Amino acid sequence: MSQDADAELHFKEIGEANAVLKDPEKRAAYDLVGDAGQEFQPPPEWGGGFDFGDSGGNSDFIESLFRRHVDRRGQDQHAKVEIALEEAYSGVERSITLRVPAIDEQTGRVEMQERVLNVRIPCGMHAGQHLRLTGQGAPGKGKGAAGDLYLEIAFHAHAQFRTEARDVFMDLPLAPWEAVLGCTQPVDLPEGSVNITIPAGSVAGRQLRLKGRGIPGQPPGDLYAVLSIVLPQAVSEAEIQAYRTMAQAFISFNPRSPMKGNLL
Amino acid sequence: MNNILAGSVIEEENCLTFVELCAASNASEEHVISWVIEGALEPVGDTPEDWQFPGHALRRTRLAMSFACHLEINPPGVALALDLLDQIAVLKARLRRTGCHSFAGHR
Repeated sequence: MSQDADAELHFKEIGEANAVLKDPEKRAAYDLVGDAGQEFQPPPEWGGGFDFGDSGGNSDFIESLFRRHVDRRGQDQHAKVEIALEEAYSGVERSITLRVPAIDEQTGRVEMQERVLNVRIPCGMHAGQHLRLTGQGAPGKGKGAAGDLYLEIAFHAHAQFRTEARDVFMDLPLAPWEAVLGCTQPVDLPEGSVNITIPAGSVAGRQLRLKGRGIPGQPPGDLYAVLSIVLPQAVSEAEIQAYRTMAQAFISFNPRSPMKGNLL
Repeated sequence: MNNILAGSVIEEENCLTFVELCAASNASEEHVISWVIEGALEPVGDTPEDWQFPGHALRRTRLAMSFACHLEINPPGVALALDLLDQIAVLKARLRRTGCHSFAGHR
C-alpha cells in the first residue's frame, strides 16, 4: 500500500515537471517568478492539461526545482528573419517583434507581451546562418544574466537567383546561335549589372563562374550563370526555311546518337 | 525608441563551445555528448572542454533536440535522421545548381 502511494506521488511530480518543462510559456513563467515566496498566478486560459489552480495545488517538488537555483541565466531564444538576397549584399536593418512572457505589475500575472527589437543584419550573411544578440534572450532569474537571442537568417524566394551558402546561382538562357558563336550579354546581378562573355561553343548546362560575385564574406561566394539554350519557334515561312537550311547543313547530326541504338 | 542592435555572426568555422551549444539549443550535456558519440555532431577537439562546433551545428543540434524530445528518437535514430536530411539537402542543392530549382525549392 505504501509503495503504491509513493508511486502515485512520484508519478504526479514527474507529470508536473514535464508539463512545465514542455510548455515554453509555463517554463518562462516559472523563470520569471522572482525571489522565493513570490506567488505565481497563471492566467485562467492556462487550464488545459495542467491545473495551476489553488484547490489541487502543486507539490513542493516544482517549487524546490525552480527555487533551488535562485540566480539562473535566462534561456537562449531563437527567431527566424527573412531578408532579400540583395540585402545580404548590403546589410539591412530589421524591426523584429517577439512575443515574450512578462509579469503584469497590476495583476501579478504572466502575460505574453510584444517586444520590438531593431537589429542590424550585417552584409555577408547567408541562409541558415545565425546572428547572436547577447543578452537579448529570456531574462535571468535573480542575479542571473539574460540569455542570448539567436536569429536564423532566411532568404525570400527569388525568381532569378538561388543560393547555396555564399554561392549564388542563376539561369542564363541563350539562343542557339549565341551559344555556338559566343556573345557578350548584360546580366543583372544582386549588386548591379555586368557584361558576361559567353564563349563560342557553349552547351546547355555549362556553368560560368563569376569569382567573388556571390554573397560577400571572407572569402566571398561565387556567382554561377547556368547556361540553357532556348529554341525559337518557327512561325513565318522565312523562319521555317531557316530550320530547313540548318537541317541540310547538319545532315550528319543525330541528337540520339548518345542513346547507343536504343532508338532508330 | 529602441536602439539598433548589432549582433555577432555565428561563422561556419569552429566557433561554438560545448557549453555555448548546449545553452543555445536547450540541449543537455548528456544529449549533446550522445549525439557526438553517434556522429551526428562533429566537433573539433578531443574532450568536451576542448570541443569547438561549426556554426551549422546549432541548427543540427536544435533539430536533434526536437527529434529527441518531441518524437522520442534515441541517439542512433537522431544520427540517422540527420544523415538522411543531409542527403536530401545535397540532392536539393544539386538540383538548384543545375537549374531544376522548381523541384528543389528556393533558399
